[in-house]
Amino acid sequence: MNQRPPADPPTSRRTFLRNGARIAAMTGLGALAGVVATRSTAEGWVWQIDPQKCLRCGNCATKCVLEQSAVKCVHAFAVCGYCNLCTGYFEPEPNALTTAAENQLCPTGAIKRSFVEDPYYEYTIDEKRCIGCAKCVEGCNRFGNGSLFLQIRHDRCVHCNECAIARTCPGDAFRRVPAQQPYLLKTNHAH
Amino acid sequence: MKREFQLGSRREFFSQTAGAMAILGAIAAQRGQAAEKAAKNPFAYDLSHLQTTDPKLIAYEETARWKAPHAEARRIAMGVDDSLYVCSGNYLTAVSHSGERGLEIAAPEPTRCCAIAKDGTIYLGLRDHIEVFDPKGARKATWESPGKKTWLTGIAVTENELFAADAGNRVILRYDKSGKIVRRIGEKNKERNIPGFIIPSPFFDVEVSRDGLLRVNNPGRHRMELYTPDGDFEGAWGSAAMGIAGFCGCCNPINLALLPDGRFVTCEKGLPRVKIYSADGQFESVVAGVESFVENGKACGPADCTAGGLDAAVDPQGWIYILDLVTGDVRVMKRKA
Repeated sequence: MNQRPPADPPTSRRTFLRNGARIAAMTGLGALAGVVATRSTAEGWVWQIDPQKCLRCGNCATKCVLEQSAVKCVHAFAVCGYCNLCTGYFEPEPNALTTAAENQLCPTGAIKRSFVEDPYYEYTIDEKRCIGCAKCVEGCNRFGNGSLFLQIRHDRCVHCNECAIARTCPGDAFRRVPAQQPYLLKTNHAH
Repeated sequence: MKREFQLGSRREFFSQTAGAMAILGAIAAQRGQAAEKAAKNPFAYDLSHLQTTDPKLIAYEETARWKAPHAEARRIAMGVDDSLYVCSGNYLTAVSHSGERGLEIAAPEPTRCCAIAKDGTIYLGLRDHIEVFDPKGARKATWESPGKKTWLTGIAVTENELFAADAGNRVILRYDKSGKIVRRIGEKNKERNIPGFIIPSPFFDVEVSRDGLLRVNNPGRHRMELYTPDGDFEGAWGSAAMGIAGFCGCCNPINLALLPDGRFVTCEKGLPRVKIYSADGQFESVVAGVESFVENGKACGPADCTAGGLDAAVDPQGWIYILDLVTGDVRVMKRKA
C-alpha cells in the first residue's frame, strides 16, 4: 500500500508575512534595476540599420510602432552616379524618363529629381513622405552604386528597448550603436 | 511488469503544466517571429518576368567551364597563340581553352585589364598605369601614370598604338608604343560634337575593329560609341531598356568584345546577360541569359552593383569566353549548329 507523504506543516502568519515582504522587496528592486537599465541603454546606445546587411524586405515600413516608420531612406551623394535613368527613382520599365507619377518607383513620391547638367540628375529624399519601404533602395542596389539606403532617424525613433522592426528583420541588420555615433553611413563604394 | 499510471500531487501537476505551457509558448513565439520574417514584401521590386530568356533567342551553348586562376577575377582577353589571358587577384595568367595554366605574371597590386599585341607583347593595366612584358613574362617597361584619378579598366592594342579606357577620368587614352600619351579621346566637347562618357561605376571598355575605328561603351548613356583614332565622334547606337533588346539598369553595357566579322558581344550587370548585336547595332541573339548567372545576379546588393558583372573575349573562330566576375567561372560558348 502506498503511503502518502507527510503533509507540509501549516505556514504561520509570521512566516507568511515575512516571505511576502521579502518577495515584495525583491520585486521592487528588480523593477528599479530594470528601469535604470532601460534608461541607461536608451541614453548610451541606440538602434541602427547596417546597410550592408539590409535585405530591403519592406518590414521597416510596416513593423515600426510609430504610425509612420522612424526608418527613412537616406542618400549618400558621394556614392551616387547622378544617373539620368536612376533605377531607384524610375519604375523598372518606365514609359519615359520624366517625373510623371506612373514612371516613379516610390509609392509615395518621396524622391525629388532635379536636373544638374546633361545628363546628370540629383535625387533627394523628402523624409516627410518617405515610409521606409526600401523599394528605391532595392532599385539602386540592383543596378547602381547603392547610394540609397535605410537608416533609423533618431529625431523620430522612440527608442524602444526591443525594436519591433529588429524582431522581424530577416537580415539581422539591426544593431545597437553608440548614441554619440548613431548612424551607419555609406561613404564610398568598393571598386 | 505492468507500469501503473499514477497521479502526482497538485503541486507537481501545476509545475509540469506550467513547464509544458512555457515550452509551447516559446515554440509558438518563435514560429510567429519566423512567419513575420518570411512575410511577403508588399513593396517588392519585381523583376521576375526578366529572369528568364526566350529559348529561341539563345544562339549559343556552353561546351566547357573552368575557374579563373585566382579569386577576384576582372578581365579576360585573347592572346596571339589562341590562349586566353585572365586578370584575377594580383596576377595575369595565360590559360588554354580547356583551362590549363601557362605563363603567370605577378603584380604588386590587383591586375585590372590587359591586351596582347600581335608580336606577343603583353600590356597589363594596373589601377593607374600600364606595365609592358615580353611574351615570356619579362618586364620591358613601366609607363608613367597619367594622374592620380586614373582608373584603368580596359585596353586595346594595334600594331603601332595602344588605347586605354580610363574610367576615373572618363577618357580613352591613346598611347604610342613608347608609352607616351598622344591623344585624349571622348572628352566632352560641344564644338566637336562629342557628348562625353558617363561612367557611374568603374566599367569602361575599348576595342579596335578591323575598320580601324574604336568601339567604346558609354554605360551612362546606354550605348556603344564609335571614334576615330584621332578622336572624332563617328556615331552611336543603343538604348536603355530592361527588355532583351536594350541595355538594362542605370549603366550598361559594361564590357564588350568584337566577333571576327565586326559584330558586337555586349556584357551587362544587374540583369547579367551576354548578347550579340550586328555591326550597326541591331540586336541579334543571346549568348547567355540572366538564368545562366544566378550568383552574379545576387551579387548586386546588399552594398551595390559594382561587385557583379561579366566580361567576354572572342577567339578567331568566333567562340566566346565569358568570365563571371562573381563566381570566377569562365564559360566556353559555341554557336549552336
